[in-house]
Amino acid sequence: MAKGLPKSFKKALWVYHINSGSCNGCDIEIVASLCPRYDVERFGIKLVGSPRHADALLTTGPVTRQMADKVKRAYEQMPDPKAVICVGNCGNTGDVFYESYNLVGPIDNIIPVDIHVAGCPPRPEAIIMAVAKAWTKLETLEAKK
Amino acid sequence: MSTKTKSKTTYQIPVGPIHPALKEPVMFEFELDGEKIVDVDVSLGHVHRGIEWTGMRRNPVQVLYLAERICGICSYCHPMAFALATERVAGIQVPERAEYLRVIHAELERICSHVLWAGVAAHEIGFDSVLFLTWQIREKALDLTEYLTGNRVTKAITMIGGVRRDITTDMHSTINEGLQFIKDNFEKLRRVYLDDKTFRMRSQDVGILTKEDALKLCAAGPTTRASGVRKDVRLDQPYFAFGDLDFDYVTPDVLTGEVNGDVYDRIVVRLLEVKQSVELIEQCIKQMPEGEIVAEPKVAKLLASLKKIKGEGIGRMEAPRGEVIHYVKYIEHEFPYSWKVRAPTYNNILPWIPMLLGEQIADIPIVAASTDPCMSCTNRVAIVDGGKRYQLNHEDLHKLSVEKTRRLMK
Amino acid sequence: MTKQLTPKEIVQSFTDTFKTKIKNPRIETHAAGSKPTEFIHIWMNVDKSIFKEAVKHLTTLENYPHLAVASGYEWENTIELVYHFSIYFGERCKEISLNMTVVLPKSKPEIDSICDIIPGALITEQEKQEMLGVTVKGIPKDKRAFVSDDFPKGMYPWRKDETGASGKMVRNLHEGDK
Repeated sequence: MAKGLPKSFKKALWVYHINSGSCNGCDIEIVASLCPRYDVERFGIKLVGSPRHADALLTTGPVTRQMADKVKRAYEQMPDPKAVICVGNCGNTGDVFYESYNLVGPIDNIIPVDIHVAGCPPRPEAIIMAVAKAWTKLETLEAKK
Repeated sequence: MSTKTKSKTTYQIPVGPIHPALKEPVMFEFELDGEKIVDVDVSLGHVHRGIEWTGMRRNPVQVLYLAERICGICSYCHPMAFALATERVAGIQVPERAEYLRVIHAELERICSHVLWAGVAAHEIGFDSVLFLTWQIREKALDLTEYLTGNRVTKAITMIGGVRRDITTDMHSTINEGLQFIKDNFEKLRRVYLDDKTFRMRSQDVGILTKEDALKLCAAGPTTRASGVRKDVRLDQPYFAFGDLDFDYVTPDVLTGEVNGDVYDRIVVRLLEVKQSVELIEQCIKQMPEGEIVAEPKVAKLLASLKKIKGEGIGRMEAPRGEVIHYVKYIEHEFPYSWKVRAPTYNNILPWIPMLLGEQIADIPIVAASTDPCMSCTNRVAIVDGGKRYQLNHEDLHKLSVEKTRRLMK
Repeated sequence: MTKQLTPKEIVQSFTDTFKTKIKNPRIETHAAGSKPTEFIHIWMNVDKSIFKEAVKHLTTLENYPHLAVASGYEWENTIELVYHFSIYFGERCKEISLNMTVVLPKSKPEIDSICDIIPGALITEQEKQEMLGVTVKGIPKDKRAFVSDDFPKGMYPWRKDETGASGKMVRNLHEGDK
């Protein structure tokens, strides 16, 4: 992790995942990163069941009309400081779904994004790196205060 | 008809590949009358991305890549079914070697998908360590996929008229090593899922689907085979090289001698299919003839020839979850005129009604998960009948399921 | 077990029962694999007035025909629905796919529901209602299957005419919002 930063985070990063209409490819890779081979849980990073407990938000998928409101509400329920990580090309730019009648993405339109992870789907290593970067960013923000 | 009270009980249940906090955009609304569930209301749409609409504005090769992203777990079946349909309209003859290669990839995907499902089922019952064990086995199968195709999930190995990559003889040793790993661990999986007392108590006589219901509701895949219906597109209407291979329908009586149509039988069917897939891949590697891997290697030439075809065709194949069917209509234009995708989960939703009648609330996650619904192929389901209304969120429901297991374990 | 007919006999049984209401029957033979193994797809145009009877007739050939899905598209002034059935599953290499095309006039796109014969047809009939604007008479449950409830009524995404999805409803995601 980054050296010289004060340890403002007393606990490790807790992450909330929301699927805004993806094909599940990214979701499988997120779950795969929790499994023994990539084992992101050894850093203390874990998935939680409610946005109110989370520090970071992982979103996947191009945002469908039905899910736009739910994504926004999840973001608003998260306490500050928070980071948003967009996993996969769908949320970043639309990927193959760039033109559709039921999509309101990319996710930048709904909530501000801190880290974009490219890939379709991105490898578990890339996802872990993104979460680590989010951690560093949150630590830096805390240090500035 | 007794007067029904206006209020309903609704439960929000996420179904699909989930971990304690993964929320699928799926909602399951139950309306109970006392303890009984009476009706199912299908409401799909959270993952509706308008793919068929988009597909009518792209050329066939672009549609292949679009079709792959319909679902990440069955990312091989959709482009393949589309390619089959197009090949039948255009009269393209696929080389024999390509047919065998297609079988190998299809069966490898089946292994990955069934093992993924096994982990999810264990998680629903409450055995998280089994989830990690099975996904560790799955990692080995994914390594093999990456070795053969270049990626773990969206493989892009399909091409109209064949496949894009070959399997050379020097790759055989790695493949055999990977298959041996799965075979060695199969016994471990079998012991955990089929012999463990708690697993049996949670899954036997739960979520029963009778043979007649399975036939009437047109269920597909392991859901219907576990009820004793012999329905498998690989055997009924052989595509690729399945007509040359030696295998049979997988129904639970192969292992246990009887057919109950409950959750236990569905586990049996899926585990047996993993074993069958390994054997099929081994047969293919032995029997594969030499030759080309694609009918027309130059994509530009292929597209030019596809602009001239006219007609309609269907492509059916057996995905891990059931029958996938694509319908395509061409009218001598660059883009297909009409494209219809039907993923297997659509047909497997209506069977949820008879399966859940009279079941306990704590059994809902495992019963729904036992049909292996794929969330991107389908979406939200609401179950409606008369009764009270209140909301139980996912955590509570999962907790109920886990608590029941702990009670049974004592 | 009902006796299995050959493809020609199947088509014959339909044309004998329904005479001119069955048009353009064709039998396609496809092959796959090294042997090669052959399989049959049958296509036929069924008049909408006898569509439900045709499906009932199908149940005499196979007790529980498998309905895979119903596709649909518009063609000039008509809407054509293609129902994909399959029969004779259960024995190796014996299944035959039977595809029935029903032509409906765009001015009055109505068709009878077959949910009382094949209960599994519910979802696909709901989908045709919202995607193409077809009215399925007698459908047991009338609700939207795919598009959200706030999607405008009267807009049918699969249609290529003025009722298709267009204008503000279609977004191009990678253009920035101006």
